Amino acid sequence: MRALPGLRALPLLLLGLLAAGRAGRADGETSVSPFTSLPIREETTTKHFNSSLETPNISLTVRSSVPVEKNITLERPSNIELTCQFITSGNVNSVNVTWKKGNKQLENIHTNATGSILYTQYMFIITDSKQMGSYSCFLEEEKEQRGTFNFKVPEVQGKNKPLITYVGDSVVLICKCQHCSSLNWTWYSNNGSAQVPIDVQMNDKYEIKGTNANETRLKITHLSEDNKGSYWCRAAFPLGESEQRVELVVLSYLVPLKPFLGIAAEVVIVVAVILLYETHTQKKKKLTDDGKEFEQIEQLKSDDSNGIENNAPRHRKNESVSQ
Amino acid sequence: MAHRAEPPDGGWGWMVVLSAFFQSALVFGVLRSFGVFFVELVAAFEEQAARVSWIASIGIAVQQFGSECRAGPEACHPPSEGKGAAGTRERTGRGWGDPGGGRRRASRTASSSFSGPVGSALSTKYGPRPVVMAGGILAASGMLLASLATTLTHLYLSIGLLSGSGWALTFTPTLACLSRYFSRRRSLATGLALTGVGLSSFAFAPLFQWLVSLYAWRGALLLVSALSLHLVACGALLRPLSLMEDPVVGGPGAQLTSLLHHGPFLRYTVALTLINTGYFIPYIHLIAHLQDLDWDPLSAAFLVSVVAISDLVGRVASGWLGDAVPGPVARLLMLWTTLTGVSLALLPVAHTPTALMALAVAYGFTSGALTPVAFSVLPELVGTGRIYCGLGLVQMVESIGGLLGAPLSGYLRDVTGNYTASFVVAGSFLLAGSGILMTLPHFCSLASTSKPQDRIREAVETKVSLSKEEPEED
Repeated sequence: MRALPGLRALPLLLLGLLAAGRAGRADGETSVSPFTSLPIREETTTKHFNSSLETPNISLTVRSSVPVEKNITLERPSNIELTCQFITSGNVNSVNVTWKKGNKQLENIHTNATGSILYTQYMFIITDSKQMGSYSCFLEEEKEQRGTFNFKVPEVQGKNKPLITYVGDSVVLICKCQHCSSLNWTWYSNNGSAQVPIDVQMNDKYEIKGTNANETRLKITHLSEDNKGSYWCRAAFPLGESEQRVELVVLSYLVPLKPFLGIAAEVVIVVAVILLYETHTQKKKKLTDDGKEFEQIEQLKSDDSNGIENNAPRHRKNESVSQ
Repeated sequence: MAHRAEPPDGGWGWMVVLSAFFQSALVFGVLRSFGVFFVELVAAFEEQAARVSWIASIGIAVQQFGSECRAGPEACHPPSEGKGAAGTRERTGRGWGDPGGGRRRASRTASSSFSGPVGSALSTKYGPRPVVMAGGILAASGMLLASLATTLTHLYLSIGLLSGSGWALTFTPTLACLSRYFSRRRSLATGLALTGVGLSSFAFAPLFQWLVSLYAWRGALLLVSALSLHLVACGALLRPLSLMEDPVVGGPGAQLTSLLHHGPFLRYTVALTLINTGYFIPYIHLIAHLQDLDWDPLSAAFLVSVVAISDLVGRVASGWLGDAVPGPVARLLMLWTTLTGVSLALLPVAHTPTALMALAVAYGFTSGALTPVAFSVLPELVGTGRIYCGLGLVQMVESIGGLLGAPLSGYLRDVTGNYTASFVVAGSFLLAGSGILMTLPHFCSLASTSKPQDRIREAVETKVSLSKEEPEED
């Protein structure tokens, strides 16, 4: 991708903004910030484990006392192997390494050291949603070093903006999930504050279609104003659930009709003004034309009378000459 | 009403310029911003074909606006330039994948081109005002019906046919009327009127996006229909003008016949058709060509905007120049056309960004410069009495050229693999057109533009010669 040399100003500014945004999302070490004591979250990892035959090996490198986190999305039960790599400053043998999930200390840890680098490993199997959550490895030294692994189910994407429709129309609400394999989807509508599941069999107003496992479509026909509000799509994974909200707005046809009629009235007024102005100026012109004609007739009349008057002096002049 | 000997060159003429300005804004601004709707409509009507239609529709939108590129580069590139650039990269061939989009384009072009002579004939008989007002009502009602559409076919018929005819009925008679009101400052007036396109394109695209976010496509189309009603108000501004040549040249039927026998007019039509074939292709292919050279979409969009601005400047500058320079305007048209053809032909040779930028700006300026002058040549050729019919005929024929130009250049692109051939062919079409322009009468003379008395004499002679021919045919 080549940028123009002569036009570096605008694209470069935008590129700079993009780069700044990306720097905060790098997969790896985060920058040291002495003012924050909270862990600086890393970007969601690209690890999506689809096959349970695979034994994912997830590792973290912890440097100094900045806590590091990693987010992992997991769909189905699998064998997990977590590895923390600590860089110690001093004596390797006098350090204490622990793994915890919440407050509970974990067993089945393997640790070995090479020079000043300490490797610690925790292996386990995730079978249901109770085993999802955060797993942390700790290194006890003068300052505690920590790395955290967060296990989550994949997220579902809906639409950020509300969908605007009209009474009598039909609409399709779509929920998508990337990097997912076949799921069970359910849709819920909003009834006051509670979520009410949508029953497709009850009436043919609602229809749930899904072309492939990655997305689900809820088609609502014959919309009315009661149908407006929030709708939730929920994806059920073996290891948990995730849901997303889609907002629906149903307008009556009168809503845009009012500005339309206002503008149409304005156009009629403008046209009337233009045509009236024209007839007015034409009348004025006709009056002045009539006035000019009247003046011309007067002028001719006065010319005639002037001619008669002029004859007299001419005759008199001739008489005076002839005499 | 007394017939004037000379066009007023001012006075109410400036109100006609204002009317033409708003009309070009309303017609071409709406057309150009229609890509916003097209995307929404595809999503609303064909939910299954989501991705493919999305990509193809952006390409189609670019293709569709190609036929309206004559009025300005802003009519050519869709509002979402970043998306458009990405879309054209992904589309295979030339984006005719969605047959619906192709049909829409064809129906709109067809209704526009064939309404041209109809509108011209009606304008000759009744004056431009009722025709333009009727055209405005047609365009607005097309949009209104589109907002109630339940299938895509409804949309093709309402927007493609109804609104398309309405737009065609407004623009041609207005430009012709403008030519009647001005003689010394004709080019400047035309250039100023055509700047409406550029300015509306900056305003309408975000406006339409905002309307769609508030009211969805149905409500937004309804409000665009209300906006199009202002064409009726613009039509009301077109006060009829009677010039001395009008009774001589007769009704629309006689005018059409006399025009078809008019040698220079026919040559001019051929020249303009050739120019039209080559003129608008580059605007579509420029973005794709820049992608082939690995430009990032932001810089490409920036370049297209710069070209659009130079086009605008070119229009006004050429308009002023056309009036300031003595002699037939056809010479200026030839100059600008040759320069456009040359800059086009040189475009594929440029590889460095600076050279490409300079050539693109030159192309924008010269192609914008030739638009007002192209319209100014016609009244000099056929006289202001026959201007309505003349303009209608010219627009009909040249739109055929426009329809053929796009597939030809696409075919060249598919066959050769890059845009070099298509740019060179477009440039050669323009050069051929300018060559034919040299055969127009009074081209080499130093005399000033023909006076109304000459045109009346010529019209009378043509009429006499035609009436002499008729008994022989019996």
